[in-house]
Amino acid sequence: MISVARLRRAVRRETIGVDVGAALNLVGALVKYLSLAFLFPAAVALGYGESPWPFVAAGAITAAAGFGLELATRGKERVGVREGFLVVALTWACAAGFGCLPYLLAGESQLASPANAFFESMSGFTTTGSSVLTDIESLPRGLLMWRQFTQWLGGMGIIVLALAVLPRLRVGGRQLFESEVPGPEVERLAASIRETARRLWVVYIALTGTLAALLYGFAAAGVDDRMSLYDAVAHAFTTMPTGGFSPEAESLGAFGAATQWTVIVFMLVAGTNFALLYALLARGRARALLRDEELRVYLGLVVVAGFVIVAELLAEGILEGEAAVRHGLFQAVSILTTTGYASVDFNEWTALAAVAIVGLMFLGGSAGSTAGSIKVVRHLLIGKSLRRELDLAVHPEVVAPLRFSGRPVDEKTLRAVIAFVLLYTGLFAAGALALTIDAAIGDRAVSPFEAIAAAATTLGNVGPAFGFAGPFGSFEPFSDFSKAVMIVLMWLGRLEIVPVLVLFTRRYWRA
Amino acid sequence: MIGAGQVGSTVVEALHDEHELTVIDLDGSRLGPLSYRHDISTIEGNGATRSVLLEAGIKEAGLLIACTSRDEPNLIAAMLAKKLNPEVRAVVRATEVEYLEAWHERHLDVDLVVSSEIETAYAVSRTLGVPAARQTDVFAEGQVQIVEFDVEATAVDDAVIGRPLREARIPADSKVASIIRGDSAVVPRGDQSIEPGDRVIVIGSPRAAQEWSAIIAGDRPRLDDVVIYGAGRIGVAVAEHLLRQGIRVRMIESDRDRARLVAEKLPDARVFNATGLDPDFLERERIGQSRAAIFAMRDDAKNHYAATLARIHGVGFTIAIVHEPISVEVFERAGVNVVVNPRQLTAEELVRFAHDPRTQQVAMLEGDRYEVLDVTVRPESRLVNTRFRDLPMTGSLIGAIVREGKAIFPHGEDVLLPGDRVIVFTDARRASEVEQAL
Repeated sequence: MISVARLRRAVRRETIGVDVGAALNLVGALVKYLSLAFLFPAAVALGYGESPWPFVAAGAITAAAGFGLELATRGKERVGVREGFLVVALTWACAAGFGCLPYLLAGESQLASPANAFFESMSGFTTTGSSVLTDIESLPRGLLMWRQFTQWLGGMGIIVLALAVLPRLRVGGRQLFESEVPGPEVERLAASIRETARRLWVVYIALTGTLAALLYGFAAAGVDDRMSLYDAVAHAFTTMPTGGFSPEAESLGAFGAATQWTVIVFMLVAGTNFALLYALLARGRARALLRDEELRVYLGLVVVAGFVIVAELLAEGILEGEAAVRHGLFQAVSILTTTGYASVDFNEWTALAAVAIVGLMFLGGSAGSTAGSIKVVRHLLIGKSLRRELDLAVHPEVVAPLRFSGRPVDEKTLRAVIAFVLLYTGLFAAGALALTIDAAIGDRAVSPFEAIAAAATTLGNVGPAFGFAGPFGSFEPFSDFSKAVMIVLMWLGRLEIVPVLVLFTRRYWRA
Repeated sequence: MIGAGQVGSTVVEALHDEHELTVIDLDGSRLGPLSYRHDISTIEGNGATRSVLLEAGIKEAGLLIACTSRDEPNLIAAMLAKKLNPEVRAVVRATEVEYLEAWHERHLDVDLVVSSEIETAYAVSRTLGVPAARQTDVFAEGQVQIVEFDVEATAVDDAVIGRPLREARIPADSKVASIIRGDSAVVPRGDQSIEPGDRVIVIGSPRAAQEWSAIIAGDRPRLDDVVIYGAGRIGVAVAEHLLRQGIRVRMIESDRDRARLVAEKLPDARVFNATGLDPDFLERERIGQSRAAIFAMRDDAKNHYAATLARIHGVGFTIAIVHEPISVEVFERAGVNVVVNPRQLTAEELVRFAHDPRTQQVAMLEGDRYEVLDVTVRPESRLVNTRFRDLPMTGSLIGAIVREGKAIFPHGEDVLLPGDRVIVFTDARRASEVEQAL
């Protein structure tokens, strides 16, 4: 780690090895384009007869800041591998920073404090879904839609989107791409990164559109009378990125059984590797899907987790029949895929169910999906590597490459996976500790379990925690310091730790 | 002929009497002795160039054998020869199994690709793949196996033995080609049965051959655990072949990177990064308990030492792969059970093709009483499009068809198509008749 004073000295001595100017220039360009995103909620606000000014003003400020940054620095044709980390980390921080402007400008008391607004924005872009709102439904429609929209942008990734459409990022995008797409190894869908990014977004948009159409179909056909066009789009926007924000106070609990089953299926799809989905949808390759080891384990975990929770609900008599299966499975899928919707208030379930749910926060969906957390593939590889360690204890000379879906796994990849999981658990522990200590100092009623759940849910980009921060609760009661800790955890979790953490090492900055 | 090394000179030895040979080699010092010993003409130069091929008279040649130790010059020579003289038949020696596969899928326009690695793998598998077998031969790149078994007097599997063949539960993908009882052969019709003490000849897939050996061997222990020293190309080819037959394979390779590569390539083999010369390692891994060990390291001397050490540790059956012809005797003296010389095998395979290009492999069973032919069916054959049940019963039997590189074990309703490779079991006296009919 490096202190600020040392860094400043390093800069003065001009031994810095990172082209900060070029990186900032690119960040400026990306921020500039981000300002276009504010047009959508502005239109929604106009449509509902609300004031579009918070969005227009936020867009103008963002565009001006982006332009300013671009003008103040000198750009380069190609961003280097090193600058890539800085670009990705800063772009996400900036997205969350500028994304909270509408919350501040709208003059809503719930989001008036900068900590609250920034928390809500970071939770949005990182597709976490934790909220500081205490009375969601009192907010204007446009602002609620912006909240949903930030999750949709963050799900497949702002940089992946930029790679797909911005001509400027034609070269050197690989580093940026790999820093943002979750998973230990990025599967390419096409020869070029640009085309890969495009195809990912096409699949993403197609699935979002399908879900929105289905949900609106329920409303039109009278299957679900609580559903409307607004709700259909809003929930499609936060299901596909495994986000979890809902404009309803009761999340998915506000809707009927058909809607909930549909959302279960789409959460599962959102937690599946998009490379597989592309192979299935664009090329009709169902076999590739079945042969994929991660997918099989992922679905197996869903079944086991669902079974445990459903069994507990039935045994304790909390719910019965179809409702028990539906709500048990809904919660299992929602937490495992790191979506974070709730169909009932699982805060009131048993201790066993609560522990199971916190455990599921550490699984995450498949690599290459929009899910957060550790992800199934990493658990699988670690399990295999531990089994190999036992083998090696008896047969020290044996050479046994790990295999994943039949293909050998590089030892470097394995090392990165182990490092990631250690970093992840370390950060989780540090985060939980910080929250607990802060609560103790501030004399707030946060139990250790609630602190653990809050750290796990924010680092894993899941959403709900327990206690006052439960599925129908709010993160509002946490202190500003605790919120800052959780903002950092969300940021680290979405970018899979390394691109952010390297920025705090001396070797990164040195020539 | 291109290449006058070990393989080349063996081929020359076998062919110089009946063929007019021109031998090309880059190294003049190899050509001299060869031309004194045999009546051949020689050219010093690069056989993979047009000028040299033309000088050697490729336009008038009937057959090109490219058998240098390097694959690519062999292939380029064959390609050029085929263009310069479309009539010429080209046989290529290739060490890389990739080329062999490409040829099977008709992506290489040559008439035969012979791989030393694969030939060696067959030879090793012949000696230990099927333990109760008197003799076994593989065809169609190892997909078809012909095995001659002695049915032990103790054999008790009453689902097969002592039961009329039409009721017997014969392993899938296999056929009984002949039953030899005392001095006479019994044509295996449905009402005949296999009795203890008989000798049977079976055609089938490698897996079926394994099942047969289990049926027939009685309670003799099955060969199921083999150690291969050296994970070079030959070692890997042997391992792949044995694994395909369901045999457990352990490999010992001293080069770390190579060991990793092979372990990645062969998920079912257990690969160790060790020299195989360390007694502690041999003891810890219980190498002595394996039924057979194959020595396929690059260095004959090292193989020799390792084989002796393995025998001390208790390995019962040792097979050595030699590189220098002189080593054969050394290994035999040292008590190694079988010695395989890949170059010798390759030369034999090349010579076989030169004798009759259409028949890919000839095996003799029961001395020279029976032959197994591997023949490609001509489009004008009168047997084309005939159902198998309607084929004349002559005591000859089509055991398998190789169609598009894949072996099929035909049933009564299947028909013969032009271009099929058929594996035919026949009385030796009728061999030429069968060949003509096809």
